[in-house]
Amino acid sequence: MAVLKIEGLSKIFGSGRLEVRALQDISLSVEAGELVALMGPSGSGKTTLLLCVSLILEPTMGTIVFDNVPIYQNGWTGGVDIRRLRREKMGFIFQSHNLIPFLSARQNVLFPLDLVGVKGPEAQTRVTELLDSMEIAERADYLPALLSGGEQQRVAISRALANRPKLILADEPTASLDTERGKKVMGMLKKIAQENQTAVITVTHDARMVEGFDCIYHLKDGRMDYTH
Amino acid sequence: MDLAVYDLKLQKGRFIATIIGVGLLFTIVLAMNGLYRGNIHDGLAVIHATNPDLWVVERYRGGPFNEQSSMPEYYHYSLKAVPGVERASPYIIYTVERQIDNESRHFSIVGYDVIGGLGGPQKIYAGRGIQQAHYEMVAHAKLGVRLGDKVPLGLHTYKVVGLTKEAVDNNGDPVVYISLPDAQEILYQKDNEEVRAQRERLARTLQKSLSPVAAANLAEALAPDTHIINAILVRLKPGADRTAVANHIRRWLYFSVYTTQDEIQLMLKGKLSGMTKQLLLFRTLLMIISVVIIALVIYTFTMEKIRSIAVMKLIGAPNLVIVRLVLEQSLLLTLTAFLFALVSINLTYPYFPKTIVLVPEDEVFTFIVVLLGGLLASVLGLWQALKTEPAMALGGK
Repeated sequence: MAVLKIEGLSKIFGSGRLEVRALQDISLSVEAGELVALMGPSGSGKTTLLLCVSLILEPTMGTIVFDNVPIYQNGWTGGVDIRRLRREKMGFIFQSHNLIPFLSARQNVLFPLDLVGVKGPEAQTRVTELLDSMEIAERADYLPALLSGGEQQRVAISRALANRPKLILADEPTASLDTERGKKVMGMLKKIAQENQTAVITVTHDARMVEGFDCIYHLKDGRMDYTH
Repeated sequence: MDLAVYDLKLQKGRFIATIIGVGLLFTIVLAMNGLYRGNIHDGLAVIHATNPDLWVVERYRGGPFNEQSSMPEYYHYSLKAVPGVERASPYIIYTVERQIDNESRHFSIVGYDVIGGLGGPQKIYAGRGIQQAHYEMVAHAKLGVRLGDKVPLGLHTYKVVGLTKEAVDNNGDPVVYISLPDAQEILYQKDNEEVRAQRERLARTLQKSLSPVAAANLAEALAPDTHIINAILVRLKPGADRTAVANHIRRWLYFSVYTTQDEIQLMLKGKLSGMTKQLLLFRTLLMIISVVIIALVIYTFTMEKIRSIAVMKLIGAPNLVIVRLVLEQSLLLTLTAFLFALVSINLTYPYFPKTIVLVPEDEVFTFIVVLLGGLLASVLGLWQALKTEPAMALGGK
């Protein structure tokens, strides 16, 4: 069953002589538990596509269906609380981890749970479980500034998983890590996809990191160049 | 999850420093409120402390406080004869600067009829009132004298027999009460050489048309009158019509007559109005400055968290979470700073050189203004936070 289905998606910035076609006629489908990579050189449209999939950036035309609900059909379909959809069904992992600096590792993971109303012992158990699985439980009460890059990324992954999302969107999650740690993070994402049946879309430019991915989309000049 | 508190915990030092800074600013606002009230309190203190039924002064004058008024002392006998008048007492007030305990002190002297007259101190908290016709004084505690002290004024020394806290003059300087003749003597006391020179000057002028002996005798008789007063205080008989008595005095005795309420209005619209308006303006400006400073502090606090706010938005935090974060910090800062100001002004106000009068209404009003100001101040930060694009969290924009 497709968690995310995109058809004929285009994004055009500006108009007339200043028109930039950032995405042109993109179509892709991601199934539950599938691990997908978006690759391509700088300016190829990877981040624009990620922004559209995140429902932050409104495409110019095309269709986005998420979890069998049409979200965009040449315009927002309406009736869908996009921010709620993001906090309940999507998880985000960033290149620079983007942990909230004034919250401890535990509180960072607790935050998305708090947003959906999961509180008290239930929330605490979930956080402990996640931090344990990411082997970071002993650093749970540290502020992000006191954690290494790898540790911060593991906390960020825990945060993305907190609400058991259907789709995880990762923006260059290994870019700020060395190769070994990067591979470890990718290994974790594979594990998450398999064990939780969560679809994972990762933007990366590092071919070494996408071993074992189910599908790799290459973008060039805003178009889908090839897929394998 | 209280994000505002977690953020402030991380920035504890900076937050405390900001509270102290803003708190000191609020302290100045409260002090300015107190100074505004104090200016009015001081300006009206003697009027309130004296509080006769009528103040009779030189015609067309707004005296004795708002404008100079001079009249011969014996006029009070005429007033005693007015129907409805129970008592009429001569009254004099003037400002002096004298050395007391080797320190130059600025104060006002009130001279009044100590034998059953009006105009003396009403509340004496230590010692007693003046019982002798001469050389006793009741002083305000601010003068820095103790009971039994001997204070030299002019040719004589005056014994402090009582202390009061009620009356200060309109500069906030202490008032000293003495008997009317003593007050007149101190006021008109001249150097002996000056008296002789004055008499000689007058005699020389008179000798142009009189014999030397006649001129010398006349010169002595023409010596300046020192039985001058500033006002006559009137107490009415029970049931007497105040307006009718005042009109009678105006019509038949050619004086200006004011009630205590009129005297207060004369001061508020006259001598006190400039300073009161000035203090009101300062007060308003300080309030505006406080709000601007809080706005900048909150804006800076918000801007420093802008990426975190973008992340929160991206992971789906509703606007309410962001609004609460900014507003709560603004209110926490504002309220804590106000509390700091409230404590600091209440601890320090007695040490201000000018009278500071703190009244709960002012504190409540300032609190409401500060609260609204704090909310207003967070608008800039809120606006910035709410317009932050979640995309900022992705791609490092």
